[in-house]
Amino acid sequence: MEDMDSILRFPWHVPFGELFLKLDPLNALFLAAVAVLVACSSVYGIGYMRQYKGRKPLYVHVFFYVLLAASFVTVLLANNAILFLCAWETMSISTYFLIVFNDERSAARKAGFLYFIVAHSGTFCLFLMFLLMAQVSGTMNFDVISNTKFSSGLSGIIFILALMGFGVKAGFLPGHFWLPHAHPEAPSHVSALLSGIAIKTGIYGICRVLYILGVLPVWCGYLVLFIGVIAGLMGVLYALGQHELKKLLAYHSIENIGIITIGLGLGLIGKSCNQPYVSVLGFSGALFHVINHALFKGLLFLDAGAVIQRTKTGEIDRLGGVAKIMPLVSVLFLVGALSICGIPLFNGFMSEFLIYLGLFNGLFCLSLNGVVSCVIAILALALMGALALACFTKVYGSVFLGIPRETFPPQERPSSKLMLAPMMILAGICIWIGIAPWTVAHFTFCGGEYLSRIPSSTDHFSYVMGSLPAVIMVLIIFIAVASFLAFMKYRVSRGTLVTGRATWNCGYPVDSPKFQYTSSSFASSIVEYFKSVLFFKRHGERIDGYFPRHMTMHSGVKDFFEDSVFRPMFAKAVHLSRAVDKKNILFTQMYLMYIFIFLIFLMLWKLRG
Amino acid sequence: MAMDDRTIIAILFHWAIAILLAPLFVGIISKTKAILAAKVGPSLFQPYYDIVKLFQKGVVYSRTTTWIFRVAPVIVLAVMLVLALMIPFGIVKAPIRFAGDIFLIAYLLGMARFFIIAAALDTGYSMEGMGASREAFFSCLAELALFMNFVTLAFKTKSLSLSSMIGADAPVRWEVFGPSLFLVVISLFIVILAENCRIPVDDPDTHLELTMVHEVMILDHSGPDLAYMLYASAMKLFLFMNILVPIITPIYSHDAVVGVIVFLAMLVGIAVTIGIVESSMARLRLNRVGNLLLIAFVLAFFGFVVALWKTI
Repeated sequence: MEDMDSILRFPWHVPFGELFLKLDPLNALFLAAVAVLVACSSVYGIGYMRQYKGRKPLYVHVFFYVLLAASFVTVLLANNAILFLCAWETMSISTYFLIVFNDERSAARKAGFLYFIVAHSGTFCLFLMFLLMAQVSGTMNFDVISNTKFSSGLSGIIFILALMGFGVKAGFLPGHFWLPHAHPEAPSHVSALLSGIAIKTGIYGICRVLYILGVLPVWCGYLVLFIGVIAGLMGVLYALGQHELKKLLAYHSIENIGIITIGLGLGLIGKSCNQPYVSVLGFSGALFHVINHALFKGLLFLDAGAVIQRTKTGEIDRLGGVAKIMPLVSVLFLVGALSICGIPLFNGFMSEFLIYLGLFNGLFCLSLNGVVSCVIAILALALMGALALACFTKVYGSVFLGIPRETFPPQERPSSKLMLAPMMILAGICIWIGIAPWTVAHFTFCGGEYLSRIPSSTDHFSYVMGSLPAVIMVLIIFIAVASFLAFMKYRVSRGTLVTGRATWNCGYPVDSPKFQYTSSSFASSIVEYFKSVLFFKRHGERIDGYFPRHMTMHSGVKDFFEDSVFRPMFAKAVHLSRAVDKKNILFTQMYLMYIFIFLIFLMLWKLRG
Repeated sequence: MAMDDRTIIAILFHWAIAILLAPLFVGIISKTKAILAAKVGPSLFQPYYDIVKLFQKGVVYSRTTTWIFRVAPVIVLAVMLVLALMIPFGIVKAPIRFAGDIFLIAYLLGMARFFIIAAALDTGYSMEGMGASREAFFSCLAELALFMNFVTLAFKTKSLSLSSMIGADAPVRWEVFGPSLFLVVISLFIVILAENCRIPVDDPDTHLELTMVHEVMILDHSGPDLAYMLYASAMKLFLFMNILVPIITPIYSHDAVVGVIVFLAMLVGIAVTIGIVESSMARLRLNRVGNLLLIAFVLAFFGFVVALWKTI
């Protein structure tokens, strides 16, 4: 992989800036995910945006879409902090314009604004971080900074800033609250990019910083691991309580970011404890999951978009039986759902397998703290897996299977091949990685070794890959057995098949969607069990008497950080600035004077020093 | 992993045992229950008769269902047959074993669960939805307990392959890890009861749809489909019992006859114990089942703490 270190350098007349692009094993992986997903969502977008033709200025959308794609590539390749920050800001701004595409909806405007604020508060931390780095090393070039020795305290501070700045982009709790607003409001091919790539740029940023810093204090690894555990568990629990398809998927992105972060944390712990296997397994598992998540989450968002376009609603409890009108879309969604649940034969399992392998190896060779952290992470991953399965059986069962809960609106246009083809490609890659994981695992492995700064060795690779052929052999046996059983069933039941009867309803011959279990009821047993962390709310009347009146009830899961932390905090901030505004600042001139006074203060301060 | 002749023979041997023996233990459990209730009860081989009978019946499909409903029994049974190759039978190691096979076992079980739940929701009937919801919930906690047991066993044996973790290749050293193993065994036993829908988690003999978990999910399956499902659940019970067997096997003998007798005796012992548990207690209220599974988790967790304390 060393020969892949390709460099492109041009001078740039910005202080400390340089047009310096560099390809290394780390960003090559992210770049691969960008290439595949951007290509697929673009083609999908052509089909999807046809519904807006003539009603909205699409060229604005296309402009920012292309800008976003270009800024992804630049963010990943930039080897200079100024260039990185420019691309980073371009990415945030173009994302904003893509989110507010449906700007006649106030929810979309609010989601965009929220994203804007969050993205910029994150960038503020990044400015501080790069300034600190530049102060020590005297340059903004990543290559030079990465050869600089930082004191352990300073590298800790830099890392915390990176976690804050990149963390809000990646969707770490509690900086995640923009995600469930922005993802559902954006057009579906943009949601796919947001969830598949945009939040991964946050992960990429953290990877880059930890590569640059080289040696980090031990507590950083534990911190990252626990951030991952909390983000993962809360993400999937919140997802279970959602009623809206794309919002649910958005919360699931937080869960998957949690899994990736657990891998990164394990890598860091392994690195600081000098356990190369653990470190490489953790990092490469995390990078593998980055790619896998981009693929299956992209697929799921594109699929959800197709469903919403056809049925005109994303409310899970108003859908049902979609598989009958959209058979192909439902199969593709199933592939995505099985991948995200980590079911063997699909790609999600392979990355989780590597992370589990790393965590269990950590159990054997780490110190007491490491062992306890690994146990917590293993349990969190296991619980996440089971909860994700509950969540996706809920989605798949309620949306695609069963009886339609409402009659579908008439089809406006036949579903576009431009929308189906990209989904099929993504689903194909998901299965391909699930059956032949070494094709991609090799590259993620190089990335993992690069991140842990361990010289590449076939020793590590063969150790990990030793298990993969056995996994594949089991899967081949599984396919053979399943086809044999299917054939046998076909032979046995061929003559005696009776179809078209009603489901057995305890003897009541009523075929009504009202008998069907809703997705909210399906999730309620789990949601209520975890209600101490989830803030499950129910508004409305309770049924009483033998002949209940017509009544309404609303239940849902409140996002604790959004409703109890940030909303009051923002309200306080608005209140405070209003108060200041009323008392003192009446004219624009006054603002200018304040700025002037502040400048003078700064100059005096500088003179004094 | 190369597929040499010995591996293939071992695979066929494991399949033969699993396919032939699995339904017997369902029969043993119901016979135990019948004897304790002072009844004659059905024959030990009743589960075999049921499966054969169902294969001769026709299949009825509801108009609500899609291909998921038809595929689910095939996938569920195929998963169990594949798992039969990854779980040791007594002190005979599993034919397919590698570092990390426990994750594949756990996630293959997840695959079976996904399809059984999806098939239940496919019928569009509320009772099946209820069963599916409960299954999804209980399995979250059961999986947590199962992984905690895996962690404890892996930590003690420094191995990631189920066969060596539970001591199919070398006896588990009770004298060293006694207290911790004791907790693991109890915890695993509760997991077996929960995963196989036994009292106190679920009552396999109940006739009220409102309270069933596993049985209600397969309510709409008929004929060969139902036979597949019943076979799969019998095999799942058999495989879970086999996870417990090597840990508690008292005698390691290289004599084939003694080995087979000990192996069968252990299995029958576990089945009878399950039967006694089922006869001696009522099922728990549904909202208490979560606590039982948490107890299983906590037991395994303390098992780990004890093991950790021993090593420091």
